[in-house]
Amino acid sequence: MGDEASDEERFTAMYDGCRQRVWAYAVSRAGRHVADDVVSETFAVAWRRLREVPDPALPWLLGVARNVLRDGHRAEVRRESFAAELRRWAPRPTGDIAEDVAERLAVLRAMAALPEDDREILVLVAWQGLAPREAARVVGCSAAALRVRLHRARRRLVRAVEALPPDASGTGTPAGPPAGTRRPGDGGALRRAGRPQMGIISEERS
Amino acid sequence: MSDVLRTLREARPAELDPAAPIDEGVRRTELARAMATPPASGSARPRSRRLPMWGAGLAGAAAAAALVVTNLPHGATTPDARRQAPSPTRTLDARTVLLAAAEKADGQTEATAAYWHRTAVSSGYFQTGPAGARYTVVVRQKDETWTPAKPGAKAVSRQQKLGARPAAPADEAAWRRAGSPTTFKLEVPVISRAGGTLNGGRALKPMEATTAPGPVRTSSSPLVDGDKVFWLGRNVTMKDLRALPSDPAKLKAALLRWYGGHDTESTSVAMGSDQWLFQVARGLVTTMPVRPEVRAGAFRMLAGLDSVRGIGRIRDAQGRAGDAIAVNEKTRVGVLRHQLIIDPSTGDALADETVLAKPITGDARPPGFMIASEAVTATEWTPTAPH
Repeated sequence: MGDEASDEERFTAMYDGCRQRVWAYAVSRAGRHVADDVVSETFAVAWRRLREVPDPALPWLLGVARNVLRDGHRAEVRRESFAAELRRWAPRPTGDIAEDVAERLAVLRAMAALPEDDREILVLVAWQGLAPREAARVVGCSAAALRVRLHRARRRLVRAVEALPPDASGTGTPAGPPAGTRRPGDGGALRRAGRPQMGIISEERS
Repeated sequence: MSDVLRTLREARPAELDPAAPIDEGVRRTELARAMATPPASGSARPRSRRLPMWGAGLAGAAAAAALVVTNLPHGATTPDARRQAPSPTRTLDARTVLLAAAEKADGQTEATAAYWHRTAVSSGYFQTGPAGARYTVVVRQKDETWTPAKPGAKAVSRQQKLGARPAAPADEAAWRRAGSPTTFKLEVPVISRAGGTLNGGRALKPMEATTAPGPVRTSSSPLVDGDKVFWLGRNVTMKDLRALPSDPAKLKAALLRWYGGHDTESTSVAMGSDQWLFQVARGLVTTMPVRPEVRAGAFRMLAGLDSVRGIGRIRDAQGRAGDAIAVNEKTRVGVLRHQLIIDPSTGDALADETVLAKPITGDARPPGFMIASEAVTATEWTPTAPH
């Protein structure tokens, strides 16, 4: 039932418009090994729940990806996978580098020392370019609360940059946030795939 | 560091640029996987549980001893062959079957408790093997759910993949000739919403299955919106469900209110409303904890629909015999027959099945090919749910 052709068109357009952002979000949360899985699962959920997807779809999709990450991958795994990703992005400098480059590398390395929640907010705002209102939708808090959290995350990032050792070496495993620093509100309302929920009837068509 | 956020923006790795092109192969695979199952047609509707995990957790790596399913013609068997009726001469008309079921349902009593516990085994059927030696594999999964009677509680579900196996004796013989593989590389047809032919409108999604059962997984989740438990054209609460009327005309009106957003006065309801009522009602009688007299009302309502017909006594995937009623649906992939098997001794719905009544040209599957079935093995109210 419903307009099937337009369902597929709408979904494909949404995929084309948002896929790389969802992937980038997942990579910056938990590295590429996890990201492909998360993207696949996120869009499978989006297809099943297509009629619920708002426009613009991105904050909703990122919210799904967030839940998929949280439910499917343990915090230590996310942290280790992200640390590996970071070593790709910010290898140990091998000689003199320009100051702005050094500054960027320092910020990247400092990111690894932040609690996961801080890092998420910073990624949503600085890398995904979301407005506070949109980022708030993703993490499931109010826009006002998000501004406060962003402010604090930014402050902790500055401190983390300042706390980097003088040689700014980013080798080794970056210090991660303590395990289990999950905040209230982390539990989104979205459900994971495969949970039987007794809807009836999606007519299987071969 | 004057503006750490700006530096962070500039530090974003180039590969995370949203404008980076999507690899075409990745795009194709991800789109096909996502669209492997039909989308939910209702808004804000809880996830459908009708088919097992075709869409989830597909392993990317190919297995050893894998067989590739293709769409070549010459299917080896007709799975309907397994459904030899115990008394093939008896074909009750739909009305007789349904009214008898209603009588039985009316006679039932129930004592509600904290959770509605339901156990079902769902089966999906796929062809596999090389051309000329093809056979059908059935992939089964057991699903248990505990749905809370009160809002705010969590719903609990438990699932276990039961393993794949040849569907019928003839399939088993073909499977043995193929060396009795324990791993199958199945390709699941994916419905393209745009196309109209097999080649243009259907893609195949890889799915691996093994003969070994999987682990039992239990999970719990809050109810949708805190109180929605089922979908009946819209999401409904347990209270809504328990308040449904038992009178068939009133029940029909109540259900039609949620049909495509139209009310019963709307002229556009006529087209396909029987189909829709059948689908809603089969969910109602196979899945939901409605009052026994409402289940009776649902059977009586179905008895009043012209497009519902009796197809005789058949066995469900668990081997249980019952009287079946069915409606046909024309789709892009052919004519599908949706059938409901009812136990005449109790009036309980045993199974809900989808059969490919008339495949489209180019489909290797024969007419009568069972696509999917769900057999309800237990429903009961229970005071507790697992954690």
